[in-house]
Amino acid sequence: MKNKNIDLSVKLGSLKLINPLMTASGTCGYADELDDFMDINLLGGFITKSITLKSRLGNDVPRIVETDSGMLNAIGLANIGVEKFVQEKIPIIERYKTPFFVNIAGETIDEYVAVAEKLTQCKRIAGLELNISCPNVKKGGITFGTDPALVRQITGEVKKVVKDKLLIVKLTPNVTDISAIARAAVDCGADALSLINTFTAMVIDIETKRPVLANRTGGLSGPAIKPIAVYLVNKVYNEVAKSAGVPLVAGGGIRTASDAIEFIIAGATAVTIGTGSFVSPDCAVKIIEGIKKYCLRHSITAVAELTGSLK
Amino acid sequence: MSTLPSKKGIFTASVLQNRGLGDKFFRLSLELEKKANTLFSSASAGQFVEIDVSQLALPTEKLIPEKLWDSSQRNVLLRRPFSFADIDSSNDCTIVEILYCVLGPATLRMKTLKTGDAVNLIGPLGNGFAIPEDKKSVILVAGGMGAPPLIHLAKVLKKQHQDMTITAFVGAKTKNDLAFFDIKTDKLKKKTDITLQEFAKHNIKTCISTDDGSAGFKGFVTESLKNRLGENKPAGEETIIYACGPEAMLSATAVLSSEFRIPCQVSLERRMACGIGLCQSCAVKCRDKTSGTLYKLCCKDGPVFWSDEVVWE
Ligand SMILES: Cc1cc2nc3c(=O)[nH]c(=O)nc-3n(C[C@H](O)[C@H](O)[C@H](O)COP(=O)(O)OP(=O)(O)OC[C@H]3O[C@@H](n4cnc5c(N)ncnc54)[C@H](O)[C@@H]3O)c2cc1C
Ligand SMILES: Cc1cc2nc3c(=O)[nH]c(=O)nc-3n(C[C@H](O)[C@H](O)[C@H](O)COP(=O)(O)O)c2cc1C
Ligand code: FES
Repeated sequence: MKNKNIDLSVKLGSLKLINPLMTASGTCGYADELDDFMDINLLGGFITKSITLKSRLGNDVPRIVETDSGMLNAIGLANIGVEKFVQEKIPIIERYKTPFFVNIAGETIDEYVAVAEKLTQCKRIAGLELNISCPNVKKGGITFGTDPALVRQITGEVKKVVKDKLLIVKLTPNVTDISAIARAAVDCGADALSLINTFTAMVIDIETKRPVLANRTGGLSGPAIKPIAVYLVNKVYNEVAKSAGVPLVAGGGIRTASDAIEFIIAGATAVTIGTGSFVSPDCAVKIIEGIKKYCLRHSITAVAELTGSLK
Repeated sequence: MSTLPSKKGIFTASVLQNRGLGDKFFRLSLELEKKANTLFSSASAGQFVEIDVSQLALPTEKLIPEKLWDSSQRNVLLRRPFSFADIDSSNDCTIVEILYCVLGPATLRMKTLKTGDAVNLIGPLGNGFAIPEDKKSVILVAGGMGAPPLIHLAKVLKKQHQDMTITAFVGAKTKNDLAFFDIKTDKLKKKTDITLQEFAKHNIKTCISTDDGSAGFKGFVTESLKNRLGENKPAGEETIIYACGPEAMLSATAVLSSEFRIPCQVSLERRMACGIGLCQSCAVKCRDKTSGTLYKLCCKDGPVFWSDEVVWE
């Protein structure tokens, strides 16, 4: 087949990404950690590690343990804090053309708002991803993401301060009805939804009868969660996102172009690579090439046509 | 260590040899693809690689030790870190040696590697041992599986700093656990009186200890080290200790380092999901001049640290 021009660009709200590939928060560092392996400018977007108002040390070790086709992590939102992020990392981010999204987290709504206000002043940041779904901190995080009333409140409060920046709300799968949470976020101004964060899980050392992770529990990610993630993305797409016209940034266990395409067919506009980067730090670039080939094979001229094409 | 982040890359390597040393220890020689030459020619002892073994098959059932049967059934997803035991980048090609111990699903799969097989690796990673110019005397402390980077370091020191006096303290549970070394026994001497060729060939004086007394001194390697330091009282400004092994051994070595005022670098191990600074899984609690403690990353800031910057638990 002729190498026709395929339009890989997708739209996240008002923002155009050159392709659907993004990094997942917490798995690709703050900005330049992947430089030795790929050209960050080839990515559709970059989502940073979660940033909080004050720096956080994070949990004791072990912070990770491998499981069958996956891993558990309990990093505990270790990060340098918003002040240092703005001072040290924004200048690095300015070197790239890629739209950068800063993932933000906190223990109180005021903290989220304070971090959002600070980051909104940075021109180079395209948007914020609201992490209301981290399973590894004692307060805040996931408790916000499991209660629709709190999701309304936090999305609404942050939306007031972010002005023209894109607001993505990241959902946890650790709920009975993910669509109820998605609806709450969309109603209160989320420009996009991202899903899914990790599943709360545990690994036990049977010799010591103790959990392996110092935090006892951790979040399961990687290929093991992919089919569940695809299902949840399709569910949120059908029940909330499609009718509201809100794009989904989706991931969970993506390693290959086929994985990414599954998510797009299920309803994703953009896809994120998390755990996959640990094994193949250059996999995003290969996935972009793979998506191109798939489009050629299926005579698709624009990848955006694929979103939600599930029969 | 706080040097600038070094450049790293993702490469394929072909297996030159994968030789068993005793029942659970192996030596793996890898020849890297040509484009790795520049990066690896400046790599240092103490640095490491992350090997992808997820594509490798398990050995046949007969060859899986009963103790590892359950864990062998687990899929391997993440890469595994291994220190350099040697790097040879002469003759326009890079040969990397790894000494590994079979402990679980990944290393069990590595056993099946055959000459000519391809493996994928990321490296060179982390910061290796720093070698201050003003040191005249070096003490190596290797415990159990911690020997590989010190075998590499000994070779580098002998080559680049001929005038340094090197003494090695090597400890293991039993004589069988010294299998990373090429062991020579002298017929005229006692069975417990052995020499380790990797050090002997460089004329490095070696003190061996085993927990059960099956070779050398009976007891911990750090006891043997303490006795020696007590007798010799080496000058702290001229001496440096390099240590790698179980964390308890490293923390005991750190205590001796401060007691005898001899600076000490330790190579630490952590569970690593990425090895390249993406995930923060490999935290090492360190002292911070201003605010008490902070976590550094074993894969990026380490794996070699000054023993007095680590907060030993
Ligand atoms: C910087 C670095 C350098 C290393 N160099 C060498 C080397 O030169 N030779 C060598 O044989 N091994 C080395 N290791 C250890 C090696 O990576 C592990 O033995 C290997 O990952 C085991 O994988 P597995 O799947 O076979 O076993 P697993 O089932 O993953 O592990 C076997 C056992 O070891 C424990 N374990 C595994 N990894 C770690 C860790 N990082 N820290 C503490 N406990 C752990 C597990 O809890 C389990 O009990 C190094 C590790 C690091 C971090
Ligand atoms: C080590 C690790 C750290 C993570 N840190 C964060 C984080 O700080 N904030 C966040 O919103 N998600 C975090 N995540 C979740 C990922 O962004 C992603 O949602 C999840 O891992 C599922 O995708 P994957 O299977 O592709 O990894 C983390 C995941 C891992 C594995
Ligand atoms: S192993 Fe991922 S940051 Fe060190």
